[in-house]
Amino acid sequence: MASHNESIIREPLITGNDITYAKITNDVLKPVENMPTKAWWIGFAVASLAACLWVFAVSWTFWYGIGSWGLNKTVGWAWDITGFVWWVGIGHAGTLISAILLLFRQNWRNSINRSAEAMTIFAVICAATYIVAHMGRPWMAVYSLPFPNQYGSLWVNFNSPLIWDVFAISTYFSVSLVFWYTGLLPDMASIRDRATGIRRRIYSVLSFGWTGSVKTWQRFETVSLILAGISTPLVLSVHTIVSMDFATSLEPGWHTTIFPPYFVAGAIFSGFAMVQTLLLILRKVLGLENYITMFHIESMNKIILVTGSIVGVAYLTEFFIAYYSGGEYEQYTFLNRFVGPYWWAGCMMYGCNVLMTQMMWFKKVRTNIPISWVLSIVVNIGMWFERFVIIVVSLHRDFIPSSWAMFYPTWVDMSVFIGSIGVFFTLFLLFIRVAPSIAMAEVKLLLKSSSEQAKKKLMEEGHVDPSHAEFYKESLTKFDSVELSQYEKA
Amino acid sequence: MDSNKKYWKGLEELNNDPEFVEKNKHEFAEPIPIEDVLSSGGLSTKTPRRDFLKALGFGVGAVTLAACQKVPVHKSIPYLIKPEEVTPGVPNYYVSSYEGHAILVKTREGRPIKVEGNPNDLLSKGGLNAQAQASVLDLYDYNRLKNPIRNGNDTTWEELDGFVKNELAAVKAGGKKIRIVSSTIHSPSTLAVIADFIGAYPNTKHVTYDAVSYTGIIQANQNSFGKAVVPHYNFDKADVIVSFGADFLGTWISPVEFQNQYVQSRNNKSLQNKKMSRHIQFESGMSNTGSNADTRILIKPSEQGIALVNLYNEITGTTLPGTKALGNTNAAKAIKLVAAELKAAKGKALVVCGSNDVATQVLVNAINSQLGSYGATIDLDNYSNQYKGNDAEFVEFVAEMTRGEVDAVFFLHTNPAYDYYNADAFKAALKKVRLTVSFSERNDETASLCTVVAPNHYYLESWGDGNAIEGYYTVIQPTINPVYDTRQAEHTLLLWSDNAVKDYYTFVRNTWDKELQAKGGLASGLKGWEAVLQTGFVKAAAKPAGTYAFSRDLNGVAQTILNQSGRTAAGDGKFELELYQNVAIRDGKRANNPWLQEMPEPVSKVTWDNFVAMSPTDMKKLGYVQGDIVTVEAHGYSVALPILLQPGQTQGTISIAVGYGRTQGGPVADGVGKNAFPFQTFLNGTFQGTATASLTKTGDIVVLAQTQTHHSIEGRSVIRDTTFKEYQKDPSSSSGEERKHKPYEDLWDAYERPAYDWVMAIDLNACTGCGACVVACNAENNIPVVGRDEVRRRREMHWIRIDRYYSFVEEGKEITEEQEISELKDLDNVQVVYQPMLCQHCDHAPCETVCPVLATVHSSEGINHMAYNRCVGTRYCANNCPFKVRRFNWFNYWNDARFDNYLINEHTHLVLNPDVVTRFRGVMEKCSMCIQRIQAGKLQAKIEKRPLKDGDVKMACQQTCPTNAIIFGNKNDPNSEVSKALKSERTYYVLEELNVQPGIGYQVKVRNTNTELEA
Repeated sequence: MASHNESIIREPLITGNDITYAKITNDVLKPVENMPTKAWWIGFAVASLAACLWVFAVSWTFWYGIGSWGLNKTVGWAWDITGFVWWVGIGHAGTLISAILLLFRQNWRNSINRSAEAMTIFAVICAATYIVAHMGRPWMAVYSLPFPNQYGSLWVNFNSPLIWDVFAISTYFSVSLVFWYTGLLPDMASIRDRATGIRRRIYSVLSFGWTGSVKTWQRFETVSLILAGISTPLVLSVHTIVSMDFATSLEPGWHTTIFPPYFVAGAIFSGFAMVQTLLLILRKVLGLENYITMFHIESMNKIILVTGSIVGVAYLTEFFIAYYSGGEYEQYTFLNRFVGPYWWAGCMMYGCNVLMTQMMWFKKVRTNIPISWVLSIVVNIGMWFERFVIIVVSLHRDFIPSSWAMFYPTWVDMSVFIGSIGVFFTLFLLFIRVAPSIAMAEVKLLLKSSSEQAKKKLMEEGHVDPSHAEFYKESLTKFDSVELSQYEKA
Repeated sequence: MDSNKKYWKGLEELNNDPEFVEKNKHEFAEPIPIEDVLSSGGLSTKTPRRDFLKALGFGVGAVTLAACQKVPVHKSIPYLIKPEEVTPGVPNYYVSSYEGHAILVKTREGRPIKVEGNPNDLLSKGGLNAQAQASVLDLYDYNRLKNPIRNGNDTTWEELDGFVKNELAAVKAGGKKIRIVSSTIHSPSTLAVIADFIGAYPNTKHVTYDAVSYTGIIQANQNSFGKAVVPHYNFDKADVIVSFGADFLGTWISPVEFQNQYVQSRNNKSLQNKKMSRHIQFESGMSNTGSNADTRILIKPSEQGIALVNLYNEITGTTLPGTKALGNTNAAKAIKLVAAELKAAKGKALVVCGSNDVATQVLVNAINSQLGSYGATIDLDNYSNQYKGNDAEFVEFVAEMTRGEVDAVFFLHTNPAYDYYNADAFKAALKKVRLTVSFSERNDETASLCTVVAPNHYYLESWGDGNAIEGYYTVIQPTINPVYDTRQAEHTLLLWSDNAVKDYYTFVRNTWDKELQAKGGLASGLKGWEAVLQTGFVKAAAKPAGTYAFSRDLNGVAQTILNQSGRTAAGDGKFELELYQNVAIRDGKRANNPWLQEMPEPVSKVTWDNFVAMSPTDMKKLGYVQGDIVTVEAHGYSVALPILLQPGQTQGTISIAVGYGRTQGGPVADGVGKNAFPFQTFLNGTFQGTATASLTKTGDIVVLAQTQTHHSIEGRSVIRDTTFKEYQKDPSSSSGEERKHKPYEDLWDAYERPAYDWVMAIDLNACTGCGACVVACNAENNIPVVGRDEVRRRREMHWIRIDRYYSFVEEGKEITEEQEISELKDLDNVQVVYQPMLCQHCDHAPCETVCPVLATVHSSEGINHMAYNRCVGTRYCANNCPFKVRRFNWFNYWNDARFDNYLINEHTHLVLNPDVVTRFRGVMEKCSMCIQRIQAGKLQAKIEKRPLKDGDVKMACQQTCPTNAIIFGNKNDPNSEVSKALKSERTYYVLEELNVQPGIGYQVKVRNTNTELEA
């Protein structure tokens, strides 16, 4: 898109020497075109074992009934909906990165959007499995669709937020899938062009006959923009609707108007954290440090900081409203998060999400890869606890004290959750084996304008104000993929 | 003349061209080209033989696989000849009686499915307790004996009769003793059968032995007034009721009747007349009755006697010799105030005592005599026959056996090998008896020791009668053919004694014909009998209740009482142990009933266990937590039971329920809890349930299966109560009338309720928390039993539950919040309130809006429906229900071997109500307001071409409620009972501030407290 040179004072989006279009293709396609590495096999073995655990635990649930979970008459949802909301939340970053950042012309998204979108799709798959698995009679799940029937005119209950959920999640999933796959087309064609034999035939089908003509590219760009336009409201609507599962109910702790923005911010927060978790490993293992640079890491950390702070403000608002409303049940519920039997869950939620992420104010923290990685995991632990607190801790002590109860998870609860993580990683690991984990075509756009070597060339050619050059060089010190010695000579 | 006319249908036919002729041949259809296929292409394809073999192989394989699963055979046999009175789908009701209460038995297609109180029953006015409600399930109990047994082997009745008669002849010739041991029998016919048996075998004696005995009262009355009976108490006539450990609302003598009497001076009608009785309970453990008392004073068992002596002194102004002051200052103060109140209410006062000690009961008689209770609140002339046990006689009987003087013994409705305090002595003695016969319905602890078991019919299969109160005769008639090869015990006894009357039915008829029909003013013969079978009972004219003056010398009595107190008083870290019956299991005879095992005990809310109840203060002192298993040891017997934290338990005492720890009660009963009967002692001629026990911690800990684990109301307006004083000043005090706001504006138009608007009113002041409604609902609505582990996981399925809250009173202030309670020093001053909680059928039901598939919707009659078939089980409705009354089928409780509490056999499911479906796993369920009853009522009215009348439809819970605390009806009818009840100033709605508009209005609990006693 951008063929002009980018301002020198912007940090490079691609680093490394001798980066050519061909090298990008070679680098990105290394895992796709070669036998898997040992690391991949280890990862895949662990992930698919966990996925098997998921299959086992979910089959167990289907065979014996939801009773094999730890739920009871008071706490009707626990790890299931916690897991569901957690996965949906994680699934938010992908579309945000691919749609909203595209519309805002944030070019740095080009290196991370592919993986983020894939992650979105897999996360939404995990979430969707929870929707079905948590039903008492999953074989009747079709009743939640408004299909024509012979029971008089029996529709679904359009008043129910769960029905909105069904629509929201399925729309989100299908649009995300289309968007992701559309973006994959030119890259699939690249693989096709380099492949032989059966692989060539498969990728030929998968690339939908991509020719690479100007017309094709033009249409590709247009479709991307249109899909971005369609996806953008979805980013906001999906978690808004998920939040309405709670907000439209009567439960103290759920019945809160702040939920839609709070949930959307929380979703982006956790989504970026998950992208961070994955990409920090991915860039190392697949040797993609030149394409996913410190700039990306820091940018994502900034987003985590901002959304984390929004979530923090939402938490404070909730407490204030609980106090200000004078509603005794509301007040009790919020007090109960700290003084009740689940005080530790409340501490995990507020500690991980608000206190820990505030460390991101420090540039040293934002640009430190191990700390970033740990924090990204802390965020997702915190976000899991946020949903747990909202769901279980609100439910377990609501209006009528005689029904107050504790929730204790069973091995099935835990296995389904751990298993869903396994499913997610299995899918993700398979994905990086069959499709480029970085959008090659889009990254190539940045090579001539935003890469380190382009900027270095500008500097060498003397087109740059020395003070700017100095500034630029300084900004490079934090990059782990830049050989600073080269600049000393310059 | 022949006509030459030719009719044709078209020009084609007229012309008859060849094309038409050809077509006309195949006018209707193209023939199927079978021939063509078979002869040419079809079979000559490549390798048709192999294809054929493949198909054959697959087919055989598939059929074999399919046949591996044994398909259950369900026989559904229609009536070959339809019985005149049976219409499939229409229930028949038969009168009968249960423990002397007139009842109605509902049968469907010949099988009893529900027991209901007879509304005309003189004792309980149509109410029944949980045990009676659950009794229908025992009929189908798979573990009942299915045939007679001799020496542990199955046998036939002929063989058995021959054997027993030979033996009896030999015993008679030998001249040794024959004994018939039974629990109390008040049936005139059974007593006559036994009398005839004694006539045939003159060495026979009938020994009456009750597991939980009232010999103390009987002998005290013999001693005081020369009448060896349990009197008939009239709690309705008492303005001041003082009970010393008598759980008269829960288990004492005739609790259903007493509950009904008790609320007569506490219900809405009485309150409207500004009248309310005062009830003061002195007790050590928190009983169901104590939890309902206006004032509850904590005393130790050892203090009971001293307290009574002091009360006597206060009332009479004399001092009995040896009188000690009560060490318990609170109780001492209370005694003074109570004495004053009792004296003021002379003639309208009643003092009862739960002790089985003769001396104590003599003193109680003296007090009641001083208060003028005889002839007013106590009736010695129309006395009760419900308990006639004589403890000393039974002890003597065991001695006789030990001495080898008994050659034959018959056990009827009794199980001493389990419930006799010295069961080992009994068992050893029994071995010396030549002929031992049990009529037990199951192979219980005693029956299994007997050479002959001649299984009795269940009462629903029997003829018989009852005479619970003198002058009140009820009839028992069979409602089903015997389920197993059993024979009624009376019939067996008639045969064995070669009675002239060969069958018991004729015998019963004779008894009634000779005597009882006339007593009830009925004609003799069949006509009178048929009238009895319509009404279920006869009532002889009541004798006037005489006044009895106590005139015995009390000096010796006082001395005995005080000595006994000294004996029970526990020192050096020991505890005073008191045995009690819990409302669900009572003496353990019905312990194999899963409905009763899963019914939460009213006070503790514990299911499936007995426990050691201990005061929180003692627990803190000893460092115990709830669930700690301790070994309780008293006079050489010990059991290990979990501790229950019981607010209101007197410090220094523990209570243990009897009726648990069966070893041969059946698969449900066995191993549930521990047997506490051996803690009883035989003292001064009676069995006594107190002992001094020492406790040692075992280190094990279990979770008690409680249906409620949070016990304080947290200051929430869910429960509203007031004092009688406040109520008199302002009837709407605390019902929130003063906070009544303008109705909220509704965004939508309200739906019309053209015909009916079903609502309910529940009077918290009438509810005693007994739990009968819970079991009645179980029976009516096919509610599954989930078992102890599932209750521990908080998954009991009861559609109606009774919430029980404790609050503590400190300096006249009610403390209800967990946090504050934990800081309280004095945890003895406990108040209890019960609240039946069931689906509120909200007009703005939060469950309905959130169900994604419209499985729960509102009816035009104001009822919140559940469509089980539509439910996908998201549980969103349950989460959004502020009352938490929705119940989810976590497992397939009906048909899952892991929940084999009773239903997974070929018989027990016959108890299911065919009007209510059983629910599959994964669907939500909840109170339906007995929609099947509403529907039946509407249909009945339609058949009779009349509008539905108020009272035509009664909910199962309402029907059984002994205190009429639950009223159901049509709100559209301003004259309906429920409309009137809801107009009470005491009415409030739970969580009305949420504007869910519940359909159930509660009436504020009123306590007639004495502020001086509280302080």
